[in-house]
Amino acid sequence: MGRRRRSSSSDDSTTSSTSSSGSMDGGGGMGGGGGMGGACYVYPASPATPGRVTADVTYSLGIDMNIPMTMDDGRTVNMWGFSDGGGNMMDGMGGGGMGGAGGTFPSPAMRMREGNIVHTTLNVGMMMGVHTIHHHGIEPAPHADGVGHITWDVNGSYTYQWRPSHAGTYFYHCHTNTVLHAEMGMYGALIVDPPEGAGTLHSGGPTYDVEAFWVVDEIDTSWHTLPWTAGTCGGDVGLHELNPDYFIITGVDGSGNSAMNLPPISATVQRGQKLLARYICAGYHPQKMRFGGLTGTVHISDGRVLPNPVQVNEIRACSGERYDIIFEPTERGTFLIKTDIIHWVTGDVLGTTRTSVTVV
Amino acid sequence: MKRRSFLKLGGAGMATAALATTGLITWIPRAHAATISKTFYITDGFITQPDGVNIYFKGFSSTQGVLNVPGEQMVVQEGDTVNIRIVNTLGRRHYFTIDGLGVNTIRIDPGASRTLSFTANKAGSYFYHDPSNAPYNRLAGLHGGFAVMPKDRDDEVYDGSPRFMQQYFWLFHDIDPVWHNAIRYGNTPNTQYVPRYFTLNGLSGRPPGAPGAMDPSIDSMVDPRSALHGHIGDRTLVRVLNAGLCQQSVHCHGNHVEWLTDNGNILPDVWLKDCIYLEGDMGKCDLIYPFESPPDAHPPVSVGAYPMHLHTEMSQTAGGGLYMFGAITDIFFE
Repeated sequence: MGRRRRSSSSDDSTTSSTSSSGSMDGGGGMGGGGGMGGACYVYPASPATPGRVTADVTYSLGIDMNIPMTMDDGRTVNMWGFSDGGGNMMDGMGGGGMGGAGGTFPSPAMRMREGNIVHTTLNVGMMMGVHTIHHHGIEPAPHADGVGHITWDVNGSYTYQWRPSHAGTYFYHCHTNTVLHAEMGMYGALIVDPPEGAGTLHSGGPTYDVEAFWVVDEIDTSWHTLPWTAGTCGGDVGLHELNPDYFIITGVDGSGNSAMNLPPISATVQRGQKLLARYICAGYHPQKMRFGGLTGTVHISDGRVLPNPVQVNEIRACSGERYDIIFEPTERGTFLIKTDIIHWVTGDVLGTTRTSVTVV
Repeated sequence: MKRRSFLKLGGAGMATAALATTGLITWIPRAHAATISKTFYITDGFITQPDGVNIYFKGFSSTQGVLNVPGEQMVVQEGDTVNIRIVNTLGRRHYFTIDGLGVNTIRIDPGASRTLSFTANKAGSYFYHDPSNAPYNRLAGLHGGFAVMPKDRDDEVYDGSPRFMQQYFWLFHDIDPVWHNAIRYGNTPNTQYVPRYFTLNGLSGRPPGAPGAMDPSIDSMVDPRSALHGHIGDRTLVRVLNAGLCQQSVHCHGNHVEWLTDNGNILPDVWLKDCIYLEGDMGKCDLIYPFESPPDAHPPVSVGAYPMHLHTEMSQTAGGGLYMFGAITDIFFE
C-alpha cells in the first residue's frame, strides 16, 4: 500500500508522488482552500483491500450527515453517522440531499465472534466528503486501521479486513478530522463475543443473562453546524474547546428521564440473574459513573481480561475507554446509574446522564 | 532512546527555540554508582506554534543561548550522586526541585546560580520543575522529565517490574496563550484557562504535506524523542508525564500497552489498555508498548506505522482547528 506516507521503507517514487498529490488534494499550506471541498491534508482514495479473503462477517456502511436528534427540551440537533447498507454510491446525490440517508445515532452496532474474519465496507457517496472507519481497540494492519490523513480518507468504497482476537467491548468511529466527526456522532458499538457466543463474556469467563449498553457522550451544539472540513486548513473554528450543552447515553438525551426505562440502556433483572453492562466512554471529557448502590465486578477493560476482576461501586473513565461490568444484584429495587461528565481542566461536573437498573 | 534515532537530529534549531537533545545524559547500564552533573540555564523566548503564532515560554535550557521546553530529559540510577546546577539568566527569581524524590527545593535569584545535590534513592519517573507560583512557572515551560533506574537493573522500571528493552519519555503539555502572555509580564493570569496548543515533548504533529511535516525538529510524529521505533519484541518503556492542566486519554494504536504505574504508584495488577487515564497538573504513568504483532491483523503483519494520540480530541488541534497538529506521534514497527 503506497499510501502509507510515513513508511520509512517502501519506494521513494511512491513517497514523492504522494507528497505532490498530497498538496494538490490538500490545497497547499495554511489557509489554502480548494482541493477536496475545502479540506486540507486529507488524501482521498479507495484502494483494493490487501490480502483480501472471504469474510465470515461483513458490514456495509454508508454516510449520513443529516440525522436530526430531538432533545428532551424539544430542540433538534443535527448528528452525523454511518448508515446500515450504504451500498448506493449515489446516496449523496439522492433524496437525502447533502446528508445521505438511513443513518442513526449511534451508528449500527457490529457484533461478531473472536477469530471471525470481518469485512467492514465503507461507502462514501459523491457529496459526502471523505471519512474512515477506525475500529477502536482493534489492532489490525495499518491499511485496515482507518486513520485518515496519515493513510488515506475514503472517497468511494473501501473494505477494512480484520480478525478480532479478544472478546470484549470496543467501538468504531470515523478518524477523518476526528475531533469533529466523532463528536458529531460518527461512532457505533463493536462487540466481540467469545467462540461460545453471546451470554459468555470471554472464554472460560463468567456468563450473563441480561445486557445493557452505556455509551456516554457529550454534545456541544456550537460544533454541529460546522462543515466536515472545518479547521483542516487552519483558522479558529473552536475545536480546541468543547463546551457541551447536552449529555447523551447510547444515543438518548440522558440528562432527564428519557433513558431511565429504555432497554437496552436501562435493564431489568431478576435476583440471581447476572447483568452485563458494557460501558463505553465515547465523549472527550473524562467521566465518572456511579452505580447507585449496586456493586459491580469489572472483568474486562479495553477488550482485555483483567488478571483479577475488580469490585467497584463507581468507575472513572477517559475518552475511548471501555469497561465490561457484571452485576449480580441480591436486593430488589431500582438503582440509578448516573454518569458525570467532568471538565477536563476544572474538574467541574458539566452534566450527568441517568439510566436505571431495576431488580425484581 | 535508540542511538540511531538521535543521531538523525540535525544541529540547526530555530532562532528562539531548540530541541533538548538526549545525547548528553543518556543512561548506560553500569554496575557502580556514578556522579552525574548537569547545568540548566533558565532562559526565555518565543516558540512558534503550528498556526504561526509565537508564544512566550521559559525553560530549563541546556545552553545559555537557547530555549528548551521541556528541559532535557535525564536518566540516572539508584545510588548515583546527582548535582544539578541552575543558572538563572532572567530577571525574576525561580526555584527548582524534583517531585517525589525527597530532595530540597533550591532558590535561584536573578543572575545567580545554585546547585542541588542529592543521592538518587528511589526508582521511578519524575518531574523536575519550578514549583513556585504554581502552576504558572511550570506551565510557562519550566519543567522536564527525570528518571531513576533501579540499582543493578537495566530492564526494569522498578525492582521486579515487567521488563523492557528501550525507554522513552512522553511529556505532554497544553498551552493557553493568554496565560503565557500574563506570565511574560509577571502577572497572575485571571482568565479561564483555555488551552489552544497541545504538545508532546514540546512539539506538535504535522499531517503529511503540511509545512514542517517529517522535520524532526518540528513534527512530533517523527521527533526521535517521541516516535517509538522497534522490531517485534522490542518492549518499550514509556514514561508519561503531563505538565499541562488538561486530563488526557493516552491512546495507542497497533498494540495495547501494559499499564505499570499510576501517579507514581505501582499498580497491583498489570492491565492491558488501549486508553490510559492521564491526570492533569502533573499526572504521570509508566507504560510498556510491547511491540507484538498487531493481534487483529489478517493476514498477519509485523511492519508498519501506527499513531499514538490523545483521545481527548481537542488536544489534536492547534489554534482552534488544524486537526492532527496537536499531541500525537507515530509508532514504527520496523
